[in-house]
Amino acid sequence: MINVRLFDLTTLLFGVASVNYVAALYGKRDTLARIGTWICVAAAVVSTAALGVRWAESYRMGIGRIPVTNLYESLVFFAWAVNLFYLVVEWKYKNRTFGAFVMPIAFLTMLFAFTNESSIQPLVPALQSYWLHAHVITCFIGYAAFAVSAGVAAMYLLKARREESKTPGGVVGLFPSSKALDDLVYKAIIWGFPFLTAGIITGAAWANYAWGTYWSWDPKETWSLIVWLVYAAFLHARITRGWHGKRAAILSIAGFLATVMCYLGVNLVLSGLHSYGGS
Amino acid sequence: MADDKRSQSPMDKVWNLFTSLKLAITLIIIMAVASIFGTVIEQNQPIEKYRQFYSDATIRMLDALNLFDMYHSWWFLLLLVLFTVNLSCCTLDRLPRVVKVVRNPKTRLDDGLEKTLPLVDRWKKKGSLQAWAEKYAEVVGGAVGKPLVTQNSETLHLYAERGVVSRFGVYVTHLSIIIIFIGAIIGNVFGFKGYANIVEGQSVRSIPTRGGSRPVDLGFEVRCNRFAVSFYTDQFGNPTQQPKEYASDLSVIENGREVLRKKIVVNDPLQYKGVWFYQSSYGPAGGASARVRVSSANGGPVADLSFHAGQQVEIPGYGTITGVDYQQDYRGFGPALLVVLKKPGGQATEFWLLQGRPDSDRQRQDPYFLSFGGLSQAYYTGLQVARDPGVNVVWLGCALMVLGIIIAFFMSHQRVWVRLTPAADGRVEVVLAGSASRNRLAFERKFEKIQDDLKALAV
Repeated sequence: MINVRLFDLTTLLFGVASVNYVAALYGKRDTLARIGTWICVAAAVVSTAALGVRWAESYRMGIGRIPVTNLYESLVFFAWAVNLFYLVVEWKYKNRTFGAFVMPIAFLTMLFAFTNESSIQPLVPALQSYWLHAHVITCFIGYAAFAVSAGVAAMYLLKARREESKTPGGVVGLFPSSKALDDLVYKAIIWGFPFLTAGIITGAAWANYAWGTYWSWDPKETWSLIVWLVYAAFLHARITRGWHGKRAAILSIAGFLATVMCYLGVNLVLSGLHSYGGS
Repeated sequence: MADDKRSQSPMDKVWNLFTSLKLAITLIIIMAVASIFGTVIEQNQPIEKYRQFYSDATIRMLDALNLFDMYHSWWFLLLLVLFTVNLSCCTLDRLPRVVKVVRNPKTRLDDGLEKTLPLVDRWKKKGSLQAWAEKYAEVVGGAVGKPLVTQNSETLHLYAERGVVSRFGVYVTHLSIIIIFIGAIIGNVFGFKGYANIVEGQSVRSIPTRGGSRPVDLGFEVRCNRFAVSFYTDQFGNPTQQPKEYASDLSVIENGREVLRKKIVVNDPLQYKGVWFYQSSYGPAGGASARVRVSSANGGPVADLSFHAGQQVEIPGYGTITGVDYQQDYRGFGPALLVVLKKPGGQATEFWLLQGRPDSDRQRQDPYFLSFGGLSQAYYTGLQVARDPGVNVVWLGCALMVLGIIIAFFMSHQRVWVRLTPAADGRVEVVLAGSASRNRLAFERKFEKIQDDLKALAV
């Protein structure tokens, strides 16, 4: 299948980009990071093409459907969204050091996808719905934003520790100021939060249309609520109680761990209605 | 406000507790952590299932904590109630203040206000105070909004604002949560959720509900005319094991008349008078039955029979027939039925009827011959049945929630003040100040632009 070959190429590009960004940090060579950016752009083109080709191939097989319906597809879609989100951040903040912390997330996701069944399977009746598109796309844009936030939060923690000990320079010296990082941790979450909210709502609407109940406390639903609550706590703590810096960064990382649990852990560890990842 | 702790009445203390954000954040985190238990311990399973995983002592303990049905337990509901009360109190506490601030904006930049603002600049210009005010009002009007001009003795004040609605985004979001809860309560009190297994050709009128209360009388009947499963085909056109569609052909019958007919599939339910029917499961109803046609050797068909395995049927004026075995592929000839034929006073004979060769039984050279028309399996369709009069209230809440979040996070209340006073040296002293409730970096750039534009002006 051409699409799978293209995704394999994407994996390779993400890997090379990650190495470039990390090497650029340690070697303090901006050229490497600049190359990393172009590789990310190339990866964005290749992975977007791969999604399109996979979509088209599913039509040629007579089971035409959007390519976001099993674990493999959701992983590559997540990595695709992380990459795009990252490029926007890099372009807006004019700083390439984020790449060393965000691109490995995309790369590891693709590596994990690589170990999963990649063939195009027809949709089971439960997934044959237009709600699928709205639900999956909103959820994964939210997840991608949270991934970026957590990557930047990790950068913040390193940077803040360095600033406290007042030893400038080194790899961390290249990071944006801790104030800018702290701001980005928050910015990524205020983008992710409405998308997650919309993702939960479209999921509820779909469940109501398919099963006659919009909320049944199944593990996936419950974990999405947990993620939502963690970020709601983050936003309240930050806006009204002035939680900045370290505590906010730790909450962002906790929120992303809950997101990973919601996305993968529920399917791999627990059982429930969203069983696509279990097999 | 200086709160004297000792003079607080108990009512004040309760009020202060429920209007505190500390309580809100604490409750949110407790709900998040508590919710994890219900995902780790499978909910509402039969006791036998729990015995496989837990000891009797553990089961007693988990049961005492309601952890087998925790999302409906008293303590989880209490958490939700506390959360709602907290949310309502915070709103009642803060919303009036915000309304007051919004309705009575500080339109004059005094010294006290000036000290609290992040962006302030001042300069002096020669010329008439009135003329400068008019010029400045035009620039500020273009950047933020038409300013309100007020005069206080010699001083002229300009005040402009935009995006005041962003102050209410958070309250819209909070209100939406309460609306969703109200919708859920309406659904729980006035609606029902049930299920119905209907055998093909039969109908139901009363629906057993989940939770075991009395069955609900629909006031009309629902009949399953037919149920069918179809499967995907592989690239050669052969059927695979992957189901493509579960479909039930349903009729709604009211006062003996069919008022509605629809084929429902998963993700496409039937709705009548507020009751929804969802395709949920299916299964075989009874054993399969074999279809056998009896024909006269020198004429047409005499009778069409349908019988289950082992069932004896009579062919009038000929004998009795019993189906005893069925093979999907009998010696490479395809599906076949093994029958036992017994004529009055004669020996019982046993022979195979091939579905693919309807004339094969002519070889017995009897007055009648039999042909096997295949097996029929009757199915029942399993439907989820629900009536939820609160669901639209829930959707209203959901829409408001998304709207509220977008307003709260992506809109900003921007305010700009200009104060013009005659200075001692005869010039005009100008003070420009601004603030934004959100996205301050972007506002800083905007403020700098206003600053430059104002300074570049000449009278």
